[in-house]
Amino acid sequence: MRLSGVPNLRACQASCAAGAEVEGQNAFPSAEVDLLGAVDFLFSRGMDHHTLMTGSSVLNRLANKVVRQLSGLGKLPDRPAAELPAVGVRSVDVCVIGGGPAGLAAATATARAGRSTILVDDQLRPGGSLRTDPRTGRRAAEGRWADAVTAGVEVLARSTAIGYFPEDDGVLAVSSPDRLYRIHAASWIWATGGYPVNLPFPDNDRPGVLAARAVGRLLVDHGILGGDKVCIIEVPEVAGDAAALAAALREAGAEVARIALGSATGTRGRSWITALDTLHGKVDCDLIAVAGIPAPASEGPRQQGCKVVLDPTAGGFRVVVDEHGRTSAIGVWACGDVTGYVGPAGAAEHGARVGMNVAMATMAVDW
Amino acid sequence: MAGKIVLCRCEDVTLADLEHCVSRGYRDIEEVKRYTGFGTGPCQGKECLAAVASQLAVLTDQPPAAIPPFTSRPPLAPTPLRLLARDPGAHRFADDPDRDRERSE
Repeated sequence: MRLSGVPNLRACQASCAAGAEVEGQNAFPSAEVDLLGAVDFLFSRGMDHHTLMTGSSVLNRLANKVVRQLSGLGKLPDRPAAELPAVGVRSVDVCVIGGGPAGLAAATATARAGRSTILVDDQLRPGGSLRTDPRTGRRAAEGRWADAVTAGVEVLARSTAIGYFPEDDGVLAVSSPDRLYRIHAASWIWATGGYPVNLPFPDNDRPGVLAARAVGRLLVDHGILGGDKVCIIEVPEVAGDAAALAAALREAGAEVARIALGSATGTRGRSWITALDTLHGKVDCDLIAVAGIPAPASEGPRQQGCKVVLDPTAGGFRVVVDEHGRTSAIGVWACGDVTGYVGPAGAAEHGARVGMNVAMATMAVDW
Repeated sequence: MAGKIVLCRCEDVTLADLEHCVSRGYRDIEEVKRYTGFGTGPCQGKECLAAVASQLAVLTDQPPAAIPPFTSRPPLAPTPLRLLARDPGAHRFADDPDRDRERSE
C-alpha cells in the first residue's frame, strides 16, 4: 500500500496515525474492484510464464508491455525524504536479535551478569509471540520488556537487522524508522523466533484466511475478535497452541471449530471467506485461522555462517545449536524457536539459559 | 476441479507449479527458485522457503536434511535506500583507489 505518499509499504507492518493518507496499489482500478482478478479466470489451471505468449513475437511484445505495467512498481513518493540523522554506532559485549520471549530472557540474563547488551526488535513493541498467545499476552510482554530495560539492556524497538557484514570485525546493520545503526558485538545471540506460515490446503489464499498467530495477536494484544465463526486448521505439533487460542476465542464469544489439516478440502467466498469444506461436510465460518509450525527465522544466522538443517517437525530450517546454545559460527549463539519450535514458555526458558551461558563463556570487554 | 494450493503468496507459486517443475527435472532448491520464482518477492522466502523445501523433499523422495536453504543475502527486509545513503561506510569504496584499480583491471 501507499501511506501518505510513500509506496510499497506492508499494511500489516506500518503503524496508522490520524490524518494518514492510505491508498492501495498493484490493483486496477482499485483493490475493491480489481479487474486484474480476470487472470484467475483466464488461467484457471495456472500459467506457466516460461511459455506464456512466446508463440508469436507480436503477441509477446504486447504481453510484455502489459505485464510490466501490472505489478510491484508503485508510484514514487510525493515529496523528497527528510534528511536523516547520522548513522548510530554501538559497540557492546552482547547483541541480541529478536525481542520475543527468548530474546528478552537472554538479554536480561547477560545484562544482569554485567555484560553491556543491546537488543533489536522489528515490531512496534517488543514481546514477539508473547503478544499472540492467550496464555501470556500483553502484560507478560510489557513486564519482560521492562525487566530487560531495568537490567540495563538498550532496547531498539521498530528496528530490523537487515544484514551481517564480516568487514570491520563483523558489523550488523540495523534499520530504524529514522536512522541506520552499525552494531559491533563480541557475542551475538539470535532469538528471531519463527514466522507464521500458511498450510497447504486447497484455496488457502482467500481473504479471511489468517495465521492463527495473527488471530491471536488481534485478540490478545488489541482486544479485537477477528470473526464470529472461526475455523482453526491445525497440525498436531501445535495442538496445544490451537487449543489455547480456541478457548480464548470462545470466551470472547466466537464459535470455534478445530479442523485437522488433512480434512480441509477447500474454501468458499469471493471477497471474504464464507465456509470451509472438509471431509466431513461444509463448515460455515467468517474466519479461518491457520495453525502451522512457525518457520524458524534463520536467514540472519545463515548470513553469519551458522549451520541450519531442514527439519519439518521443527517448522523449517532450524539453526543447529549444541546444549549450551552455541551455533557452528564462533561467538554466535541462538535460542528459542529459531532453533526449532518450542513455543513461548519453552523459548523463554531456553533464552534465559543461553543468556547465562553466554555471560559465563565471555568476559566483559572494555570497548 | 480442486482449488489452488498456494505455497508462495508473493509470487503466486502453487503446489501444482512445484510438481510441474519437479517433473521437468529440477530437484535443487536453487533451480526450483529460478524456475518457479518462489522466494523472490517482498518476503524473500520467509513465509514460503520451509513449505517449498518440505514439499520438495516429499516430491523428490529426498531426506529433508539433504535439502539446503537458498542463499540469504542482505537486506533481510525491505529497506528504504535513504537509510543507507547516510552511512559513510556505504561511500567508502567510491574514494578507495585500490577498489578503483581492481575495477579497471
